[in-house]
Amino acid sequence: MVGESRWDRFWKYFLIAAVSLLVLLPVYWMANMSFKGRSEFVARPPTIVVQNPTLENYYDLLVTQRFYRYGINSLIVALIAATISVAVGTLAAYALSRYRLPRNFNYHLLFTMLTVRMFPPIVTVIPIFVMYNQPIFGFRLLDTRFGLGLVDAFMELPFVIWMMIGFFREIPRDMEEAGLVDGDSRFGVLRKIAIPLAAPGLAATFILVFIASWNEFLLALVLTQTRAQTLPIAVAGQITQFDIKYGNMMAAGVITTVPVLILALLAQRHLTRGLAVGGVTG
Amino acid sequence: MAVEGAIDLEGRGRVAVTPWWERHLAWLLVSPTLALFVVFAVVPAFTTISYAFSRVSMVRGGIQREFIGFENFARAVADPLVAQSAWTTIRWMFIVTTVEVALGLALALLLSSGIRGRGAFSSLLIVPIIMPPVAVSVAWFFMYDYEFGIFNYLLNQAGMPSVRWLSDPAIALYAMMAVDVWQATPFAFLLLYAALLSLPRDPYEAASIDGAGRWHVFRTVTLPLLRPVLLVVILLRLIDAARIFDKIFVMTRGGPGSSAYTASITIYIEGFTKFDFGYASALSFLFQLSLVAAATFYVKRVLADYAQPAES
Repeated sequence: MVGESRWDRFWKYFLIAAVSLLVLLPVYWMANMSFKGRSEFVARPPTIVVQNPTLENYYDLLVTQRFYRYGINSLIVALIAATISVAVGTLAAYALSRYRLPRNFNYHLLFTMLTVRMFPPIVTVIPIFVMYNQPIFGFRLLDTRFGLGLVDAFMELPFVIWMMIGFFREIPRDMEEAGLVDGDSRFGVLRKIAIPLAAPGLAATFILVFIASWNEFLLALVLTQTRAQTLPIAVAGQITQFDIKYGNMMAAGVITTVPVLILALLAQRHLTRGLAVGGVTG
Repeated sequence: MAVEGAIDLEGRGRVAVTPWWERHLAWLLVSPTLALFVVFAVVPAFTTISYAFSRVSMVRGGIQREFIGFENFARAVADPLVAQSAWTTIRWMFIVTTVEVALGLALALLLSSGIRGRGAFSSLLIVPIIMPPVAVSVAWFFMYDYEFGIFNYLLNQAGMPSVRWLSDPAIALYAMMAVDVWQATPFAFLLLYAALLSLPRDPYEAASIDGAGRWHVFRTVTLPLLRPVLLVVILLRLIDAARIFDKIFVMTRGGPGSSAYTASITIYIEGFTKFDFGYASALSFLFQLSLVAAATFYVKRVLADYAQPAES
């Protein structure tokens, strides 16, 4: 900027520092408190940095309450959701980016998918609950990891399709045409040329769907009860009307957050694009 | 929608030798998507509509349904809780979106004016966006605690009395809005920041030759260029804010009392604590209908010049 004074610069950096602090505070505070023992937890003034770090909250949560069960459920549900969603969505995205289907079908499908993305989950969860509650081919999908994973996969499908269309568009068409000339079938071209070339995008999309499913709350709340309950529901369960164990609650929050942070680091390069397509938020 | 460089489906002469699944490959590729769409969107839509006109009761081994016409809708119109939760949802949508987009834009402008450590700052702001909303909620729930929370501690240090952040009906909703602002402002920021960086330089050079002031440049150059992205960010935030459920449910279960009931929470309570599926379906239908109406209005009027299919 032209004619920027020192005073301007000072304010700029001051504001950035203040915002950074505000962003970090709740995360830091949660982590800080999760390592405090009972007496330090209620100390006044609160210790800014934990003085006698202890793992007792984690021990109580993971061993006594067997919290890892919910972690495993979350992991499996998110893997199912990401696998199905990416597989199904990638195929559709390829078709939409390479073929012109009759009756303007490409446009209609993309538009419909946008509408799906817009629906609040609450409006479909009652019919899905009823559908899952009755046996289909002898299986009740209610309170199963597969059932929840499948719904999550559908919810993230529009996101996958829009993401993957973008990645397929970036593949030079010459390479696929060369494959066709070499006598590959069209499916062979998809399998041997298009998908390997789009692999980085595919991986990023997989991670982002995994995160979305991992974070998902409402569907998991309604469609699971005990066997398939996921982490977010179990964490929310720490807030009860009587005797809130704050230490456990903070530890539960940390346990739920850490895997997501690691995954986001891996997909960071594609994250802004993912946001633009309207994915990932809670 | 024209697909750039699309493969001609007729395939010029190869048709005769290629097997059927090669010829219909495009349809085969989209069919799993269509199947999921039918199972999880079309069928539920019909179920919702039929339930909305019924009294639905859970019986052993299934559901019993009795047609009652518009009774559920009449009840919804007369129900003060429905009107109240609709109003709460609207307030939530507009306040939260306005604050988040305004703050996000301000931050984006600040950062794009040249600052060291931009990359680190952007990475830092990803943390709230991808954090599980439940983890965010419990972290804030504890900070808001009356006795042990850090906010009341700081207030007391400054000589002010403690505040009942989550149990005072006049404050709780706004306290929870702050949580949403914390989590979603970075989302608005990142999109607007990316857009700002990709703006053309020429208009700015022209403006600086003309000697225009900062505010003037913002009003006449930045804002018009940014408009399309700004409108999309607003739309995405409105859509997301309309469905607000998790944060409020975790922190106060819609309380204190019913003061923080939003559309999603009211439908959840009717459906899954009172198990009145008929009434809850009628409410879902009304909620959906008003969202579609609002979205149509927004797309037609506000996004009109931007509504070209975004991809090709």
